[in-house]
Amino acid sequence: MFLAHRNLIQNKTRLLLSVGGVSLAIMLILLLNGFLAGMNRQITSYIDNSTGSLIIAQKGVDNLLGATSLLSVNALEDVKKVNGVNDVVPILSQFVIFDLRGKKLPAYLIGYDPNQGGGPWKIREGREPMTDTEMVFDDVLAKRNDLQIGDKFEILGQDFTIVGLSENTTSWMTSFFFIRISAAKKLLRNPGAISFLLITPEKNIETGNLLKNLNRISGINAITKNEIADNDIRLFAKVFSAPIKLMVFISFLVGTMIVGLIIYTATVERQREYGVLKAIGAANQILYKVVITQAFVTSLIGALLSILLAFSVGNWIMAIRPQFLILFDPLDVLWAILAGVGMALFAAFIPTRVLAKLAPAEVFQK
Amino acid sequence: MIRLAFHNLFQNKIRFIISVGGVALAMTLILSLDAVFTGVERQITAYIDNSGADIFVSQKSVRNMHMTTSSMSRSVITDVEEIPGIEKVTPILYLTNMVVSGKERNLAYIIGLPENAPMGGPWKLFEGRSYPRTGETIIDRNIAQKSKIGIGDDVEILGRKFKVVGLSEETTNLVNSVAFISISDFIKLWGNSNSISYLLIKINPEKSSSDIAAQIEANVKNVTAQVTADFSSQERRVVKDMSTEVITMMNFIGFLIGLAVMALTVYTSTLAHRSEYGVLKALGAHNKHLYQTVISYSLLSVLIGLALGIMITFLLSIILTYLRLNLTLAISGVSLLKVSSASLVIAAISAILPIKQIAGLDPAMVFRGK
Repeated sequence: MFLAHRNLIQNKTRLLLSVGGVSLAIMLILLLNGFLAGMNRQITSYIDNSTGSLIIAQKGVDNLLGATSLLSVNALEDVKKVNGVNDVVPILSQFVIFDLRGKKLPAYLIGYDPNQGGGPWKIREGREPMTDTEMVFDDVLAKRNDLQIGDKFEILGQDFTIVGLSENTTSWMTSFFFIRISAAKKLLRNPGAISFLLITPEKNIETGNLLKNLNRISGINAITKNEIADNDIRLFAKVFSAPIKLMVFISFLVGTMIVGLIIYTATVERQREYGVLKAIGAANQILYKVVITQAFVTSLIGALLSILLAFSVGNWIMAIRPQFLILFDPLDVLWAILAGVGMALFAAFIPTRVLAKLAPAEVFQK
Repeated sequence: MIRLAFHNLFQNKIRFIISVGGVALAMTLILSLDAVFTGVERQITAYIDNSGADIFVSQKSVRNMHMTTSSMSRSVITDVEEIPGIEKVTPILYLTNMVVSGKERNLAYIIGLPENAPMGGPWKLFEGRSYPRTGETIIDRNIAQKSKIGIGDDVEILGRKFKVVGLSEETTNLVNSVAFISISDFIKLWGNSNSISYLLIKINPEKSSSDIAAQIEANVKNVTAQVTADFSSQERRVVKDMSTEVITMMNFIGFLIGLAVMALTVYTSTLAHRSEYGVLKALGAHNKHLYQTVISYSLLSVLIGLALGIMITFLLSIILTYLRLNLTLAISGVSLLKVSSASLVIAAISAILPIKQIAGLDPAMVFRGK
């Protein structure tokens, strides 16, 4: 162990590079996982924060953000009549594309009745819309585009006045904005339209039975909020999750290669010393221990440093780009440390093979 | 000195694999991510590009189809038809919904088509009929295959059963496909007979599309008229603008990965050949000659890694076309230029630390075995 320790600290630049390489790789893994977790949270932010625990959509529609849902005019009354339904909140929602400062930005319109709910869950400044020409805008999007309360904003050819700024309603893919449901019906030129119903069941009602009863109504699909959230995540993950997961894998591979290269170089450089050790009776196992300890210590220091780095870089990214949310799950941090250990084990494989093949006599012949 | 760099590079196979492999991975990452989004940009405008229309008319301020809605009063049809130079007008209804078959659910643009519509229908048919009547639908061939259904089978759209009468091609992308139903079915299910989503316009070939689009906007209230090429370009911008920030972030990460691997391999290689450099110095080689070796080593590794990265991405794009994954990798010239520039920067930065190392190398030390 003493030899491993000496080997490690003898060349400080090399130690710094290897620890730096590992921490960079694990930091990337942590940041990418944090980014995925943040993306998922942002995608489901409306579902997570809106009223009720069940959602009624048009038959065949099982997500909020992907498909347009249009319920029949009778759906609201039919659902109210079902036993076990305590509260029903209708919303009319639709994606629209904003042209802001020459950039296209998808935003999700929520038409709601302020007296019933379904609107913004946290207003940082201002109030909810009281007329059909007022709106609540996302505060991050407003800041990025120099918009403030009192400003006019055009949606689908109609001017709205911003009367409130909502919090936690943004993401880098889309932001939520809110108008009255009556205004949304006019805007979408569909007077009877309702997209979804947010259902709060009565206390002590068994969800499975209630869903069964609701799904007897024709033309609707009643599902839990958790299911609809999962479906939305799956839909968006189809586009973004695969590249991010690929990057996590490449980061792991690169981290392993970095530790491997460092330990390999250090081992090859000290081949003579290891040969001498073998010649005086050291078993292969002892030499393996030296190599594995070096790899393990490097990776562990790198992993611990990466946690600090990831937190700092994550906070920095969120400060300069508030539309990005990076969430660190304690489980992800644990995985990062395990990834570091995994890297060490993989990385030590080639140097141990070098040692295994080393013939003690060779070092005296050189 | 370049020969020496070449020799150093290939002497140690493990180091060579790691350096070139690391750069190739990083470059593949940057290239393939760019290629995914360029592919989506091209696929997403397939309906607009193949609609057969010269001009698209939509609700005022609506300049896109993807992730948006457009709703105009039906009276707009006659208003537009009165404008001179217009030959055909096809109204369509549109929204995004699911094509459901058993447990298989696929997101799709649902297009409500008038009977015998001259524009806006499927442009390439694999099998069956190209226009849907009441209760019928035309869906994408890949979606049908995925759902294990064919002509004559039923699917559910907007909560109602439709019989599949046609299978279209080139109507799917990474996010969604296109399904066609009759406009009368669409109106029934939508519950709004007074609205249309878009007007597809064919003009007299002797007239200018942009002039007629301007005339439509001047004469018809609350509409936006765009030449098809402009409409298509607006659509591509949605994908581009949505993905720019995430691509920038991913590219930066790819760049960091490439840099970390290269910097380390060039550094460890220089370290391993320290004594040789010392001997060369002792024999009278100038620092600048040794710098040349390091830079050449770094440049060679990066260029081989880059070439490998490009090959892997091309290979991936070919494999994906055979896998029918609705994902197209399109490698653009801009993307190639970007990764090439990134490679050069990586090579240059990677050489800095070893150059400093060589500059501080005392020839006498190597003879003392240090």
